Amino acid sequence: MTDCGCDKAKAELEEYLHRELSQQDFQDITDHLENCEDCTGEHLVGITLTLKMQKACQEKAPEELRAAILSRLSQPAG
Amino acid sequence: MPTAVLDRSAERTAVDSTAMSDTQPSPELRQLFEDQALTFMDQLYAAALRMTRNPADAGDLVQETYVKAYAAFKSFEQGTNLKAWLYRILTNTFINSYRKNQRSPYQGTIDELEDWQLGGAESLTQGRTTRSAEAEAIDHLPDSDVKAALQSIPEDFRLAVYLADVEGFSYQEIADIMKTPVGTVMSRLHRGRRLLRDLLADYARERGITVPAPTTRSAK
Repeated sequence: MTDCGCDKAKAELEEYLHRELSQQDFQDITDHLENCEDCTGEHLVGITLTLKMQKACQEKAPEELRAAILSRLSQPAG
Repeated sequence: MPTAVLDRSAERTAVDSTAMSDTQPSPELRQLFEDQALTFMDQLYAAALRMTRNPADAGDLVQETYVKAYAAFKSFEQGTNLKAWLYRILTNTFINSYRKNQRSPYQGTIDELEDWQLGGAESLTQGRTTRSAEAEAIDHLPDSDVKAALQSIPEDFRLAVYLADVEGFSYQEIADIMKTPVGTVMSRLHRGRRLLRDLLADYARERGITVPAPTTRSAK
């Protein structure tokens, strides 16, 4: 088990959250988070922010829009 | 515009490529488009709302996106990422039709601004208790606050954050959609999320939710 330390973890937490790290880096940061309360707290804020946005942005297209689009698709192009 | 790819389907190779925009797609293609592309309508509409910031323009933008996507659907390579393809058309349409007239000089140079000019600052010295309180405060905010915060950050940041956090696109896919290098995507995401976090902390305080002020936050 490796511990990459807080500097590396904090610098890469966002990439960690977005699953943009190599397997090795991902593992290093996972290991670090297990032992570091400070970075775990920082990661928690990041996750909360993402989940909150996902929940807030769930608008449904109005029915009229669906109907308008289907009707546009039936018109000759051009 | 999506890059044209060679149509590998034997039945359709006979179609003259120049006829793409002025003939109606076959009934089979129409059905395929309805089955595959129209399922993304809610998502495209939500994204369009973030871009245009009002329902009327968002509806128009989604409609225009689908008309363009339908006209170009023959060139869509089945098996590749349809959602990313639709988002590329949506983003292009937005930039070309909606943003042209409202783009301020500020938007063009936003990537060059330093972090301190954006009012955010890394708060690396915050303790764990502070962060738990911050996460909890964010969690208690109503959806309307989250949307208001998204609306108020610069457009390029907002789009990058939306595409990554809400839509789950990879950095490379976002780079393709926004036509920008991956490094720029990362910078926009980082700064956008930082701004959102600070805004949400402000909203929480206004609502009387206790959020300890980050110790290194720049004074404004």
